[in-house]
Parts: sequence; C-alpha cells; structure tokens
Amino acid sequence: MNIREELSRRVLIFDGGMGTMLQAAGLPAGYEPEMWNLERPDAVQAVHAQYLAAGADIVTTNTFGANAVKLSGRPVEEIVTAAVSLARRAAAEHGSGFVALDLGPTGRLLRPMGDLPFEEAVSAYAPAVRAGAAAGADLVLIETMSDLYEAKAAVLAAKEHCDLPIFVSVVLDQTGRMLTGGDLASAVALLEGLGVDAIGLNCGLGPEQMAALFPELLRLTSLPVLIQPNAGLPECVDGCTHFRVGPEDFAAAMAELVKAGLRAAGGCCGTTPEHIRALADACRDLPALPVAPKHRTWVSSYARTVVFGEKPVLIGERINPTGKPRLKEALRSGDMDYVLRLAIEQQEKGAQVLDVNVGLPEVDEPALLPRTVEALQAVTDLPLQIDTSDPAAMAAAMRRYNGRPLVNSVSGKAESMAAVFPLLKQYGGVAIALTLDENGIPATAGERLAIAQRIIDTAASYGIPREDLIFDPLALTISADQSAAAVTLEAVERITRELGCRTSLGVSNVSFGLPRREVVNSAFFLLALEKGLSAAILNPGSAPMTDALRSYCALKGLDPNCQDYIAAMAGETTPAPAAPAAGMDLGAAVERGLKESAAAAARAALDGGKAPMELIDGALIPALDRVGTAFETGRLYLPQLLMSAEAAKAVFELLRGAMTREGERPAAKAKVVLSTVKGDVHDIGKNIVKVLLENYGYQVVDLGKDVSPRAVADAVVREHAAFCGLSALMTTTVGAMEETIALLRREAPWCRIMVGGAVLTEDYARRMGADFYGRDAMSDVRYADGVTGAG
Amino acid sequence: MAEIDWKEARRYLGLHRPGGNVDKQLEESLRSCGAELEAAARPRAVWRRFPLTVENGAVTCAGMVIPSAHLARHLKGCGEAYLFAATLGAETDRLLRRSAVTRVSRAVILQACAASLLEAYCDECCDGLAREAAPEGLFLRPRFSPGYGDFPIAFQRPLLEAVEAPKRIGLTATGAMMLTPTKSVTALVGLSTTPWCPPTGCAACGKTDCAFRKG
Repeated sequence: MNIREELSRRVLIFDGGMGTMLQAAGLPAGYEPEMWNLERPDAVQAVHAQYLAAGADIVTTNTFGANAVKLSGRPVEEIVTAAVSLARRAAAEHGSGFVALDLGPTGRLLRPMGDLPFEEAVSAYAPAVRAGAAAGADLVLIETMSDLYEAKAAVLAAKEHCDLPIFVSVVLDQTGRMLTGGDLASAVALLEGLGVDAIGLNCGLGPEQMAALFPELLRLTSLPVLIQPNAGLPECVDGCTHFRVGPEDFAAAMAELVKAGLRAAGGCCGTTPEHIRALADACRDLPALPVAPKHRTWVSSYARTVVFGEKPVLIGERINPTGKPRLKEALRSGDMDYVLRLAIEQQEKGAQVLDVNVGLPEVDEPALLPRTVEALQAVTDLPLQIDTSDPAAMAAAMRRYNGRPLVNSVSGKAESMAAVFPLLKQYGGVAIALTLDENGIPATAGERLAIAQRIIDTAASYGIPREDLIFDPLALTISADQSAAAVTLEAVERITRELGCRTSLGVSNVSFGLPRREVVNSAFFLLALEKGLSAAILNPGSAPMTDALRSYCALKGLDPNCQDYIAAMAGETTPAPAAPAAGMDLGAAVERGLKESAAAAARAALDGGKAPMELIDGALIPALDRVGTAFETGRLYLPQLLMSAEAAKAVFELLRGAMTREGERPAAKAKVVLSTVKGDVHDIGKNIVKVLLENYGYQVVDLGKDVSPRAVADAVVREHAAFCGLSALMTTTVGAMEETIALLRREAPWCRIMVGGAVLTEDYARRMGADFYGRDAMSDVRYADGVTGAG
Repeated sequence: MAEIDWKEARRYLGLHRPGGNVDKQLEESLRSCGAELEAAARPRAVWRRFPLTVENGAVTCAGMVIPSAHLARHLKGCGEAYLFAATLGAETDRLLRRSAVTRVSRAVILQACAASLLEAYCDECCDGLAREAAPEGLFLRPRFSPGYGDFPIAFQRPLLEAVEAPKRIGLTATGAMMLTPTKSVTALVGLSTTPWCPPTGCAACGKTDCAFRKG
C-alpha cells in the first residue's frame, strides 16, 4: 500500500528528532550529521530502529542538510543514497515502515532579499531528490521551511525529479508568521497551488503553541495536515538548549489535535522515541477525520493572500506599456525603478493585485518578465497578475514568482488552453479566462457562458478545478453597440450564478469613443458589481472608479464601520503636510526640498507660458548649484541635499512630459553605468549618487547590487558609457572592485572609473587604478562635470 | 522593546556637525521615518554559550578555530563566550528597498534609524545576558564581530550555524559572507571573571580617518 492510500484512510505517525539522538550517540557539535550516513551508518540506523519500535509509521532520513548549497563539496548523492538505504533497512528489519526523504533549508536567503538565485536553489535540491527516489524513498518531506520561496524551489525540484508524494511543513512563530514575513494563508495558497500532498508545521514551537495555530490551518487548507512540534519552546540553561515537554504531555496535546482533524503527527527538536511511543499509543487508533475541500479562489504573494468572491478586488493596471510612452522608454532602457514606483503608487492608492505586462516588440519578454516580477517582489507584498500573451514568458514568470500568481490570460481557444493549463498545473495559480474562442467574442451572454463551460471542462481534464479560473466576459464599447454593456452584465450574472465562478472585467473598454469616459465607466462598474463582479482591472489613480468601489463596499455592508471609506476620504480632505505654498518660486521650492511646491510652481510656470528649457536653465540648475555648494560647505545636511534632489527630480519628470516634441529634450551630458560590486549587497551609497547624477543631467544605467565584473564591463561597452561608478562597502568586496576595474581597463579603455564606499580611501582608490575617489555624494557630480566640461 | 537611539541616528546622518540647520521639514522626516521603521522592524536574536580557549593568537570555540590576534586579545582571560546573532528582519530590508526607489532622502534616514535601532537592540540583549552572568561572578566583554580587525569574515557562516540563526531568526550569509537581512549583527561576547576596562567603540578602532569617529 502506498503512502497516499495510507494517508487517506488513517492517522499517520512520524518519527521524532534526529539531531539530538545522534549527538547523544557522540556526534560532535558543529559536525554535519549527514556525514554519519557514511561514517557511522550503525548509529543512524539505530535511531530509525528506535523510532519504528516506538510505533512510528514513517521514518525520516538523516538528510536535513543534504542539498548542494549546504553540503557543497560533499558527495550529496552518495550521502542521500546511504541515508535512504539505512532507513529502508531499518524498516525491513522492523517488518514495516515508510521512508521519508528529508529536505531542509539551504541556509541561504534567495534573491531578491538574499543572493541565492532561485534556479540555483532548485538545482541544489535536485541531486538529493533523484538519489533519494532511486534508493527507494516513499515520499519527500520538505520541512523546517521559514521561507516560502525556498519551499517552492524544493517542491519544484521534487516534482521535476521524482513522482513521489510531497509533504511540506513550515516554521511559524507564535504570532503565526514566518521569519521571512509570510503567514499561514500565504503558505497554504502557494503550496496547494504547487500540488503537494500534505501540508503542516514543524519546529519553532511546542505542541501548545501549534495547537493555537492549528484551527486556522484547518480552516484554510484542503489538504491533510501534518504537525511535528518541538518538545516545547527551547530553554537555555547552563549554555545548553532544553525542551521541557515530556512524552505524556506531548502525546496528550497531539491527541487533541488528531480529534480536531490532524492527519499526520510526529515530533521535531527535543522529541525522543519515548515521545513517539506515547504519541503512537494515544493517536494511532483515533479515527481519521475527513479533509474538507475549501473551493477557494485565491492568489498570494510571499506574505499576503487575496480571496475572490468576498469583497470586490481591485487589480492595478498601470504596469502595462500599451499607450504609455514613459513606461515604454523605461522598459527599453532598463529603468526598473520607474516600474517599481508605479507599483508602490498603485499599492498606496488601494490596489490589491498588480497586473504586470512588459510586452514590447523589442524586448526579450521571457527574460524581462521574470526579472520584473522578482524586482517587484522586493518592494511590494501585493500578489501579482502575470500578464502576457507569450507562453514562454508566462512560464518563466510563474516559475520565478514567489506565491500563487494570477495569470492573464487563457481563452476558449484550444491553443491558448493547451499553452496555459499545463503551466497552471505545474506552478499553481489562478487564470483570468476570456470568454472568446477561435470564432471571436460571441454576441450573446449564453454563447459566452458556453465558452466558459468549455474552459471549465478542459481545465478539469488537466486536474485544474473551476475555482482556479476567473472569467472575464469582456466589456465592449457601447459607442459601437448599445446592447454591449447589457450582454456583458448578463454574462457576469450568469457565470456567477449558474457556473458558480468568479468574474473580472477590464471595465474601461465600455466607454471607448465616448467623451468623459470615467462617468460611464464608474456607472458601468457599479452595475457590474451589483451583478456579482468579483474583480476589476483599472487604474487605482482614477478617483471616480475607486470612489465607486469604496461606496459600493460601504453600501453593501462589506466595509465594517465604513472604515475604509472614511480613511480614503480623510486623505482627500486633510491638506498634505507640505502643502504647495501659493506662488512659491520654483528655485526656492527646490532649495528647500519641497517636492509638491516645486511641482506646483513648475506647473504654474508652464501654464503661464514659460518654456520647459527656460525653467531648467533659469531656475532648476541654479537652484541645484546653490544646494550643491551649501552641502559641500557644510550648510546643508545629506538628507536635505537629497530632498532638494527629489524636488528637482519631480520637476524634471513634469517637464519631460511637457517636452514631447523630438529634439526638444536636452541631450544627456554623458552616460554613467553604476553598480555595487560583486558580493556587496549594500547599495545606499550608489542610490544616492544615482539620484544626484540624474539631477545634474547624466543618463544613469543602474545595474543594481552584487554585480559581476563581467556584467559591469558588458554594460559599459554596450552603452559606450563615458563613466562607470562602482561602490563597495566592505573590505572583503574591495577585491571585486579591483577586478572590475582591471576588466574595464582592458575592455573599455575610454571609460572613466569613479569609486566610493565606506572602507575606501583616496590612496587606495588610486592604487586600484580608479580615476576618481568620490568621498561624498556631490563629489562624483563635480568630477563628471569637470571631465565633460559641463561644470 | 528597544528604541532608536536618536543621538546615534543623527550622528550617522552627519547632523552632529555644526554649520547646518536641522529645520522643521527635516525634523518631521526624522520623526516619520523613525515611526515607520519601528513599525516595520521585527528584532530577533539568538545566542548560545560555549566554552572557549585562547592560544597563540587563535580562539577555539564551538568547533571553530579562529586565527585572529585581535579577537584573541579581546577575549584574553575568557573561559566562555556567547555566540550572538541579531537581526531587524526581512521587513526592514523591504522597507529600505522601497524607500530607495521612491525617496532616497528617506532611505538615508531609515538606514540611520535602522543602524541605531539594531545597535540599541543588541545592547538590550547583551544587558540581559550580563544580568544573567552576574550571579556567577562573570562579566561580559563587548561584542566582537567577524570582519572587525583581523577576525576573518568567513566565520559568519559557522557562527550562524552554531546558533542555528537561519532556522531560528531567519539570518543567513551570502556567498561573500554578507549578512542577509542586511540590518543584522553576529558577534562573540566573551565571559570573564574580571570586568572589562580597555577602550571600546571608536577609541579601540584603528581607522582613525573614519567620518563617523567619535572624539
């Protein structure tokens, strides 16, 4: 009988701690326990035997750290093969017992918060999975995960290199959060999407604390639950860690959980064969309660879930280059910060999910989309809607995404479903399904429903449930066909009622070709909401639309105490802290670092007929020069210099919009490639220099942090940059700086190299071969101006 | 709960230097950045006590043999040490990143606030350890971290593993031994039977041209 069948019919007992048992057998502190699979197989097998004798159904291999990152340089496959064989042998000698291949964390943090690339994490687990499956493991147990992203990497490795069932358990603190910020809901959403077989908690907490989190886990998940607590919270006495909960108390607490629906129970740190014996005695014969499917339509990020069908969901549409020249330019030039700002602005305005579309004919979308997704996830915890018509880009972005994505879109076309559904099965997620097919968009609601039904049936054939589809019955403009809105509204209503599915609309299409479109849009939006619309993709900056949504929620009792409505409207009536002073001079506003006032002054000057270049030459540049000098002479502090720079930047952005004609914009003084060197993750210095250089008219290509010498040289050559700025904070990364300079000298001899960072000195910079040592924020600007003769 | 030490935070920002004027707007930014940081930060620490030997310019502790004359000098006379690790958490890093994209002036202030909060939090933890050690007649030495003096930074990883920092507080090291989340500290804290008197802080540091040097 296989483990899936066993799990479906009874409560399974896992084993307890391995590390402490091996230490008791003489494993020295700081020594890798996995090495004992080769060096002391007898000791490892004896632990398994003790747990089986105590009543465990499943023993866990001694392979917690057996991944290519943690055991780098060690024979991972050999270790895993030995470990599984030892557990198998113990089970054979006992006469029964399943073997769980244990996979723990790599001990490194994944990009973008750390430096381990996602694919390296996947590859790190692959050898253990292959070797473990070949050696006869019955299941893969991915445990002690405090980072959902790493858990996803391990699950993908397991899915892609074996057919074994996958159990995953994560570590939460007492508040129910993971160390990387995730919560229980985001863990369940992600892991269920990946199609694992059981989900649970281990380590970190004792049975009592896990019992407090258990009801919520049960409420959320549609999978069997596994719990492996420590024997209480760790207590440090005389320099040693102790766990205080004894076998009887441990077993009693776990039995209560089984009675409430727990399906697999075991122990973690501090638990012994005695704990497992008591646990098995107390739980083995308790009935296995059925696992209730939840049929929830939800998406997630690493830290946040959004459920469809409760309150209408606002999907921010702004990260889409269609009709947005500024975003097109940013995507072409690699200005990721602009994209990130669009995301943060939409989040501040109330978006709950962000659409991400970077499709332009001249960009490499399968590379750019996952890169954008990763960059966005470093600054926002909103779930993302991966929006592309390129299946390769969709696959790459879904794979890299940290969470359960929304995917835009699939349609009733056979080709579309054949491309999207396998991805949904592999990576999890919810797809926006358009009710159109090879024959186009049907004219009636009934026909759109028929397409929806066909999509549901096809999805089911891939094992994808209907709750993982959100139907978009397509809003068409009423200026062409006055019945269009009525058909769409009817389709929304019938998909909700007859098919029991969720819906979404791109609302604004309805008014195409009409004047004052927002008037029509917001009215249509309200009508659709009343028909049951669960989500809309729109611009969160559009007040009529967000007002309509907030009013709707308040009126329908979806906004307790009308608090969201009141909070949003309070923002409208309270004056901003730095309210634009009437008639403030542009230069003075920039000097004082008043962003809003500076923008208001610039707008007023433009309205008054001033040319953008007049404002730049006559007000902005003189103000920036005064500010720069004040900083250099100690009259202005760094934050004040930067506030002025931000005010100037806001004005530049405004003027840039006003200078639409070709050739009207001033040419950049020169191109500068900036980066923090390989190995260094501290980039505040580089970011400061970037803002100031941009202010002073330089075009900056920002490569980010932890950038290899090769990537810097390639960018300098590609851009033919006149300058390259390198930053290093630590003595240990200065070597990488030196290497980068040497490579630049060979491949880009024209380029002037500026360096900066806390540990550098003028003398050291010179010895490394840099052209210039930037000692503070302004000095790079002065140096570049001196070289270009622009000063 | 530790709070930002504003005197330190201002010093990191250079506001202690005469000549400038900390106006109302800057004060308001300091206040709001401080509040934002304290709301986002989730300080966590972990420590374990290990026996220690100091011999021939090397320190042996928790399976590590650390060749460092500075550390050996610092821990002279200690028979034990706490291995200590603390972090403000991933949320702080995300806040710093977000501000670097939207308003670098706030990023700079938040950096200073985070550095100061982390230091205050570590002090608070170590004060607690000192109180625990006092009844045994033991005194704590100041924290000494990988990367200080000749203490090789490569010891970040074994130090983190010895206290299970990745698992317990989510603190890890990159390939180049940088701590992630970035607002984090690892250190050895010696325990000895005699109080510590030699100079600490800036006075003990060899980098005399440092912009942040006190005194």
